[in-house]
Amino acid sequence: MDRVAIEELVYQSCLLLDDKDFKGYLDLCAPEFRYTITAHSPEIRKDMIWLDHDRNGMQTLFTQLPRHNSDHSPLTRHATVYKVQCDEAQQQANVVSALQVFKTNLDGGATELFAVGRYLDTFKLNGGKPLLAKRVVKLDTRMFGFGYHIPF
Amino acid sequence: MTKNANQWQQLPKFPTSHFVDSRIYTDEQIFHEEREKIFNKCWIIACHESEIPNAYDYRTFRHPGGTNLIVVRGEDMKVRSFYNICPHRGNTLLYDPVGNAKRITCIFHAWSFDTKGNCVDITREKEGFQNRFCKADAGLREVRTEIGFGGFVWVNTDDNACTLKEYIGSALDMLVPCMEEELEVFHYHKAIVNTNYKLWHDTNSEFYHDYMHYFNRVTGMLQPGYFDRKYVGYPNGHASVGSMTIKYDAYEGSKERGVGWPNLSPGGWILIDIFPGMTYNLRTSVLRMDTSIPLGPDKLIIEFRGLGLKRDTPQERMQRIFDHNTIWGPFGRNLHEDLLGVHGQGRAMNRLSDQTWVIHGREENMTIHDEGGMRHFYAEWSRRMGRKAYDPYGEKLISAAA
Ligand code: FES
Ligand SMILES: [Fe+2]
Repeated sequence: MDRVAIEELVYQSCLLLDDKDFKGYLDLCAPEFRYTITAHSPEIRKDMIWLDHDRNGMQTLFTQLPRHNSDHSPLTRHATVYKVQCDEAQQQANVVSALQVFKTNLDGGATELFAVGRYLDTFKLNGGKPLLAKRVVKLDTRMFGFGYHIPF
Repeated sequence: MTKNANQWQQLPKFPTSHFVDSRIYTDEQIFHEEREKIFNKCWIIACHESEIPNAYDYRTFRHPGGTNLIVVRGEDMKVRSFYNICPHRGNTLLYDPVGNAKRITCIFHAWSFDTKGNCVDITREKEGFQNRFCKADAGLREVRTEIGFGGFVWVNTDDNACTLKEYIGSALDMLVPCMEEELEVFHYHKAIVNTNYKLWHDTNSEFYHDYMHYFNRVTGMLQPGYFDRKYVGYPNGHASVGSMTIKYDAYEGSKERGVGWPNLSPGGWILIDIFPGMTYNLRTSVLRMDTSIPLGPDKLIIEFRGLGLKRDTPQERMQRIFDHNTIWGPFGRNLHEDLLGVHGQGRAMNRLSDQTWVIHGREENMTIHDEGGMRHFYAEWSRRMGRKAYDPYGEKLISAAA
């Protein structure tokens, strides 16, 4: 397994989303890609799912973005790969990364910490060309002010 | 034609029920009075019973009247509420939003209380207080609590208020058949927005802003029956909007809505606004509940809950969660837009900004784009406040034309 290639894929996914290059992002993903945002609510003592899409669902979400009224402040995703666990037999790697998301206000450019959490990723090793098969964004942050349309 | 300063100030050419003065959204004194005359007088939803299913389960609640509360289920399974204030030196009794406590023990000096609010232990009581003060003098302040209308836990800090049933009247009649089964909260999150709570309630009280939501504009509004939905106002400032069928599968990204909801027609929608800041919103397969907790005239916490049926199978629940998230979730397409709207209002009509008239002037036979829902709210607001929403300081000489 090429750990560097996998780490770069995680970082690449951040940069592409930061740049709103959604096609580039989906090109990193396997056909069976599944994207989920989860959070635990201590208030109701429940694990919650905040978004759950397959590749088509993500494609639809991205396509619809320009039709919505949205906050246009850009996000900066910052990931640090903490753990890469390889399963050669399955030809896949499970990767845990720390995630911080910053939001930079369009008017004046002040940056605020928007969210923290983790990426729990599964990569298909795919004979040297790894692809993202599953991403769970496990959020610690649950308050987003007036919100945002583009997932992390 | 633009307006000069004078023209901008001129009263709109509507009856006085059809516009309000923007200063009701920013004035500290008015906000102070709202806490006293509205939030500390009305029934308010603190949480849902499914959040405290077992004996000794508690939930803390920041009451919009200002005082923090504990909502706790007793050994007898009855739900009671108390000020979350220790009667000794005023410490917070329970710090966590949720938990299970057979005894509520203050961390400061370890006074202890049972779930009925009785003080059951004062540390070194006799040594310090002799016979001058005892446990019987140290009970918690109990707040009236009732469970109802979908299993929500309602509180009222006014000991002399009417019952919850009287307060709601027939406002929720349309929804009552849909809430016969036990419900369960599956989604909870909060948002803090720099805006006035009334503006959020207004957004929940008018559908004209479907123009802000792409899919509502291009599909919902074109559905037969959309313009037939009617607003109905009820005593105490509540208002409902009747059901209509939404053709979800008419647009991309929305699967066949299979789960449904008991006694709701497939694709039906019932929205009921409860004065002063709660909204039941039942759409297809999910009940959404918004509750407002203003922190000031221009700062608001909104709590969002999504509810399904307690008896849901995992598959049914997943479908409800999916339906909820696509539109109303934190990354759903409508919620961000609705919040952007009131954020923008808070920004435009800020404390330092020039006074503005906010117009609620649409009349369409009380159908969906009529602004009668908001007018109904402000009539009640004015009655309770003893201030006119269009003239909160009594400075305008409104002519007979009004
Ligand atoms: S403040 Fe609670 S025991 Fe003293
Ligand atoms: Fe809306």
